[in-house]
Amino acid sequence: MDPSHNLASERSSIESTYELTKYLEYQLKEIKDVYLTYLGPPFNEKDFSPPRPNSTALTLPSAATRLELWHGLENQARLAQNQRAYSILLAAVRELARSTLCPSLKTSLLHFCTGLDGLLGSISALMNSLGYSSPAQAAAGELQFPQRGTGSNRPAPLMSQSLKVEGFWILRELQSWLWRSAKDFNRLKKRLRASSLTRHRYY
Amino acid sequence: IARVIHTHHFNAVCESGLRYSERRSFLYFARNQYERRGSDVTMQCGSLESDASVSWKVNGTDIEAQHQLNGPKLILTQVDLDHNGLYSCFQNPHGERRDTIFLHIGIPPQEPKVTCRSNTYPKGFYCSWHLTHPTYIPSSFEVDVQHNQHSLYVQKDPVHKNRCHVQFPEVFSSSPYKVNVTAVNALGKASATLSFEESAIVKPDPPERVTASPIRLNPRRLEVSWHSPATWPDIDTFPLKYFLRYRPLIHDKWQHVELLDSTSHTITDAYAGKEYIIQIAAKDTEIGTWSDWSVAVHATPWIEDPLPITTTTEVDFPNETKTSPIPSSKAPQKAEPPVGRAARVVTFFSPLLLGMMLLFMW
Repeated sequence: MDPSHNLASERSSIESTYELTKYLEYQLKEIKDVYLTYLGPPFNEKDFSPPRPNSTALTLPSAATRLELWHGLENQARLAQNQRAYSILLAAVRELARSTLCPSLKTSLLHFCTGLDGLLGSISALMNSLGYSSPAQAAAGELQFPQRGTGSNRPAPLMSQSLKVEGFWILRELQSWLWRSAKDFNRLKKRLRASSLTRHRYY
Repeated sequence: IARVIHTHHFNAVCESGLRYSERRSFLYFARNQYERRGSDVTMQCGSLESDASVSWKVNGTDIEAQHQLNGPKLILTQVDLDHNGLYSCFQNPHGERRDTIFLHIGIPPQEPKVTCRSNTYPKGFYCSWHLTHPTYIPSSFEVDVQHNQHSLYVQKDPVHKNRCHVQFPEVFSSSPYKVNVTAVNALGKASATLSFEESAIVKPDPPERVTASPIRLNPRRLEVSWHSPATWPDIDTFPLKYFLRYRPLIHDKWQHVELLDSTSHTITDAYAGKEYIIQIAAKDTEIGTWSDWSVAVHATPWIEDPLPITTTTEVDFPNETKTSPIPSSKAPQKAEPPVGRAARVVTFFSPLLLGMMLLFMW
């Protein structure tokens, strides 16, 4: 197979994945506003930020990382981190949608999940085309987001504060991941371009 | 607070004309006293007994403001800024100086106004603050920055007084940063807290070294190029996108172009012969806000050279040159602008010549 052709398709694949993250970021901003209004005060107040839950029931993958570490990530590790993060976050948002009683919000969240699923698929396809193995699809245990308790199917005013805080942080972390992914894919694109230049020298 | 005060005294000696001599006196340990504007102030003369008799002077002269004396105490009522001064007390009857007090009238600080910005993303950010109302006495500021329940190291700016710098401990953080600035002076303190997310404060400096040039043989084009701001540390990994705006000098309406991953652009719809004003702004491709506009550059598209007149015409040649826009760039172009109506006089041969020149170009 012509290596330059492969590279071109990889680059357009990265580009479309990048565009997808931008689209989802925009969509999430809108859903988040509605969701915070649904949770009610103080969650819908400007600049409100509750303390991050450190309970074992909720282990959200953190997009935050030291700059040097992020810089030095190998392509495979970079993609794998993204894949793992969205697998967990997708399950979390699905659970959020399930326990939301407001019908329109529920629909929006479920619609958003299909977008997230698409992003996951895009990342997996990219990893395959680059010859990287995709481990995340296997571990069903990791994908299973713990049920948020039988008491979670309640209208927001009756939801426990800790459940509300969880919901807040799921969307918050997802927002950070979508922002980070855009930078990740941009970096990946540049690294592949650089490595293709060195590769072509030998042809 | 002890201070050493250095004063000059000029003595004019009368009788045999005027003679000035300079006398320096060092006043050791004149203490500062800070009082609130509008309040009643009591100044104590050293540690003298309550039945001591003293006299007071302010800045070497008698006190004109309304005041009361009570043994070793001087009482001023409803003080204002004009009560500021160096007060000295002298024990009667011999007049020994017993104390010197530097009185400062002021007000306690109000909540400072704080802003933070990152123009060096992802390295760090800086915060600036100021007091909206003057306090008239020296104020200092304490700054504390929190992130994820940790206090971050804050570095004072070497040049700007009310500014400090903080490095980002990590990138892509979901947790907010909390900056607390406390203004403190001798009469009180006041705090302000600013809370923000990493992505919200990113604002690059404007693009630099913007140039705009005409393009030879293209009367409707201008070639614009620029550089990313020098303060942006990693343009490769954190690319910027740009916003270009341009308009003829004589028009009010701007035209806009947004550009991704490019530091040059060709304007193709410029009005022939018109001088343009062009500016660029920059923004991180993902987060934050647009920079301020760059310094404006001016340029005029290439204008065709007038060819010499080979046939006689009925057109009168004016003596003076009609003023026309002069391109400000260094592009190769005739220095002399076209001369009045002569510019419109086109000989029979010039289209052929132009055609031939174009052929050679390609």
